[in-house]
Amino acid sequence: MSIVKRRYFAGFLGSQTKWLNSMAAKGYRLTETGKLKYVFDECTPGQYIYTVEYVGDRSLEDEENYKAFLEDMGYRVFYKNLNLDYSLGKVTFRPWADRGGRISTLGTTYNKELLIVEKENDGTPFDLHTEKEDRIEYYSRLSYPWYFAVFLALLLALIYWPNVFPTALCGGLAIFFALPIIVMALRIRKIKKESKLEE
Amino acid sequence: MKDNVKSGALTEVTFFILLALYEPKHGYAIMQFIDEKTGGRLVLGAGSLYGALNTLTDKGWIEPYGESGGRTKEYVITDAGREIAEKELLRLRELTATAATIMGK
Repeated sequence: MSIVKRRYFAGFLGSQTKWLNSMAAKGYRLTETGKLKYVFDECTPGQYIYTVEYVGDRSLEDEENYKAFLEDMGYRVFYKNLNLDYSLGKVTFRPWADRGGRISTLGTTYNKELLIVEKENDGTPFDLHTEKEDRIEYYSRLSYPWYFAVFLALLLALIYWPNVFPTALCGGLAIFFALPIIVMALRIRKIKKESKLEE
Repeated sequence: MKDNVKSGALTEVTFFILLALYEPKHGYAIMQFIDEKTGGRLVLGAGSLYGALNTLTDKGWIEPYGESGGRTKEYVITDAGREIAEKELLRLRELTATAATIMGK
């Protein structure tokens, strides 16, 4: 029997992963995703394990190649949106994407910023990024959109200056958007520290 | 994958990928090869393997093998890749010989 759940995790990949794994532990396997929608079928509890990966900075070709590569590994892969946007004909510029930014449109990588990856639970952790340099690069890539968000919030704060309320609101947003950057920086620092200990 | 080209020192992952591709293989087979040859000691995530394959392809050490019409992409080592792998073997032999002399083993 299928069940439908509606959730929105925005950029909190860890929370989304945790929730999908808690559903799998209860015996629900993901079969379909929508903007807010997650459809599950019943399965043996703990049969599957999930991870969520950010791919919004990749080109359409690279994103499709990566998805096909993961599927060749025997994983099931679902696209998922990072933002909520119901307009049609959307075009967006991602300055943080590789090689000086990327234009994303509906029909290309827009609304496909995340991959939900599923594997059979064999009792081992599900880490797509195991190499030190690769993990550092991945966490750096995860930070770039937040740097842009902080920049925009600060720019708006400057534009609204000296109106106290909107300036304070934008300043608060800038601080909120900076939190993921701090989290990523701490993770990178931890990896570097661990690798020094290994040497 | 921070390979030190100047000294010839490769990361363990790079060396294993090059060794795996002396015979053409797709991603999953490379992972199985590494798992088998290291007895499960070296676990390589699919994302890291994808990045490593792209990096080694850009360096010209490996290349796609066969027609790309099939869904599963295979890779094989190039002549440049063989040369790098052979240099690494020599470096490791020198290293183990020095270690054996000093340690009296």
